[in-house]
Amino acid sequence: MQWTLNYEETWVHRLNPAFKLVFFLLLFLLLLFIHNPNIITNITVVPLLLLLFSTGHQKKVLLILMLPFLLLFFSSASSMMFFGQGSTTWWKWGLIHITEESFYRGLHIGFRALNFALLGLLFALTTRPVYLFYSLIQQLKVPPRFAYSFMAAVRILPVMLEEFQQLRAALLIRGVKKKKGYRRITQTITLYAVPLLSQSIRRAHRIAVAMEAKRFNNNKRTYYYKPTFSKFDLLFLLYTTIGFGVAFWVGDTFPYFDSTDVRQK
Amino acid sequence: MKVGVSNLRLKFAGAPSLQFEDLSLHVKESEKILFLGPSGCGKSTLLQVLAGLIPNAVPVPMKADDMVICESTGVVFQDPDAQFCMPYVDEEIAFVLENRAVPQHEMNDLIQYYLDKVGLSFQDPHVEISTLSQGMKQRLAISSMIALEPEVIFLDEPTALLDPEGTSEIWSTIKQIEAKQTMIIVEHKIDEVVDFVDRIVLFNSEGKIIADSDPNTVFSFYKHKIREFGIWYPEVWDEHIKETDLPKDIVRGKEVLSVTNLKGYRGKHPKIQAPEISVCEGEWVAITGKNGAGKSSLLLSLMNVMKTSGEIKVSNQLIKTVHDARSQLAFVFQNPEFQFITHSVYKELAYSLEMINDPNVDEKVNGWLTSYQLEHVKLLHPYQLSTGQKRRLSVGTALFGSQPVLLLDEPTFGQDAQNTFKLLQLFEELRAKGLIIIMVTHDEKIVNNYATRQWIIEKGLLVADRNLERVGEGKAYAMDS
Repeated sequence: MQWTLNYEETWVHRLNPAFKLVFFLLLFLLLLFIHNPNIITNITVVPLLLLLFSTGHQKKVLLILMLPFLLLFFSSASSMMFFGQGSTTWWKWGLIHITEESFYRGLHIGFRALNFALLGLLFALTTRPVYLFYSLIQQLKVPPRFAYSFMAAVRILPVMLEEFQQLRAALLIRGVKKKKGYRRITQTITLYAVPLLSQSIRRAHRIAVAMEAKRFNNNKRTYYYKPTFSKFDLLFLLYTTIGFGVAFWVGDTFPYFDSTDVRQK
Repeated sequence: MKVGVSNLRLKFAGAPSLQFEDLSLHVKESEKILFLGPSGCGKSTLLQVLAGLIPNAVPVPMKADDMVICESTGVVFQDPDAQFCMPYVDEEIAFVLENRAVPQHEMNDLIQYYLDKVGLSFQDPHVEISTLSQGMKQRLAISSMIALEPEVIFLDEPTALLDPEGTSEIWSTIKQIEAKQTMIIVEHKIDEVVDFVDRIVLFNSEGKIIADSDPNTVFSFYKHKIREFGIWYPEVWDEHIKETDLPKDIVRGKEVLSVTNLKGYRGKHPKIQAPEISVCEGEWVAITGKNGAGKSSLLLSLMNVMKTSGEIKVSNQLIKTVHDARSQLAFVFQNPEFQFITHSVYKELAYSLEMINDPNVDEKVNGWLTSYQLEHVKLLHPYQLSTGQKRRLSVGTALFGSQPVLLLDEPTFGQDAQNTFKLLQLFEELRAKGLIIIMVTHDEKIVNNYATRQWIIEKGLLVADRNLERVGEGKAYAMDS
């Protein structure tokens, strides 16, 4: 069964993975310090454009993957809107109390969550784990023993998924009676966790021994992939800086929401 | 002496006694040695000691008066899915080259070179390992082992989890490795290895060496032992068939299972199609075909675990859901562990009976424990059983009621000769009582000696359905129906 997505490589794939990781973490941090809903709404365009036009994945796949994030947007925005505090009441009905402040705060939180999600998705869709770990070893000096263990672990995941399907079929055929209430949760955990974990632990142990048998140790090693910095990293840096700059400028100069700082009482 | 150990003492944590007590073994340069013995005799452990993996990579307490271990060794293990840490073929060999600190610019040529050595030729070796067949995966494992340029090669049951085709593939690959290469081999299926090795070391179940000589000598003096240990030696099938008196004339009873236009879907595409099937009491059907052809899918479709269309009838009862299927068809999975849901052998057998509120649970379970030879382990956790016992228990858990059909997915896969014959005899007893046995198998000997009927599956389609006479190898008299 196929677990990987087909895609075409684009320039976003060729960014240095370690640079990409650090840069995205910085963007996450920056997003936390933006309190103007105008700006954060504008910023959403920056990752969205990249995601839609530069990941090399099929549009259909992208849209399906983005669906849960829209849900995330609406759920985080709406809960803040409906139940948040504020003084200028717009609408009140039972527990639901929408005020001007809570509305903007909700919108702001929604867009922040959406931005996190889009950036995360952009990273995940354009970064091969193997390149990321090679880059982490070489650029950020992560010890190889951790990086290679992670790569081996990533390989186990699809096998586990397949085993999960087999296990589900086996339990179905055995006709396991589902218990009621909270017991059902513990029952499910033991029924699935014990066989899957016992298989995985044994497999992980065997892989570890096989890696040592291939003389994997702490000695000096060379690398098959040597991720470097290229013009694409510069391009990406320029794109985000300009994109964020424009978003800030437009948000400040042409605000379309009344609120410019959601923290203000 | 190339590798060797004198007076080795080794004990596994929690084991009641020493695995090895004062064991000595010496291997000369360019010698090819085969370790033989029953499962659990410690031959793989000794291989790992000589390969330097114990105690460095696998901490097991051990002591030896003298030990010669080679600096550069290469090991191939049995599980094709647990040897690689990289997702792509080129990356896996590159991993070995990286460990050897080979400069990056030489890597691409070397990757090609080592792949050529095992006959894996890809235009671009950047191929996902998960798309390879099990046999190809093991060849890749050999290739990455050769990439270590080892002085001594260790093969730890490299074909245990392969079908006969993959097994031949592996041995012809290994035989192409240079003649002066020192090799230590642990193997249970020795048909293709015997004429290749210079020396056989035979262990008993206590981990003592009982014979150590050239293959001819070992075979002429210790044949009975080799047989008792469940090793697959060349004549084992002939001898087994001679001793077991299999009824040749099969009495086919009334029709039990009938299938029309069965299609099993994975997603929108049919994975398996079987236009028309009718099976009668007392038949033994072997389902054969290439890997991925859809053999297991056929079984899963019959069980309604996959989405299916068409009609399945057992004893004139329509099978529409897994629930219907369970009461009529017993199913044994390839991995028995997935079928276990309780914490003891006894409870495992009692589980399904308690569910249908059977009044004589105790009586029935005790009867089964005897017939599956499990009474001495009835309080153990199913995971603690040996592979043969696990398999028999999984048959027991599946056949809880009076289902007329037993479906088995490669039940003898990876089992030693003793366990295989024990299982086959168990199935034959059931068949003689009128049960229908339908099993997926790669083993031609089972098809020719035990099966009374063969279904061949090709690319998701049941292409041949023929009756067989139980005549043994080479003479399979077939009539296409």
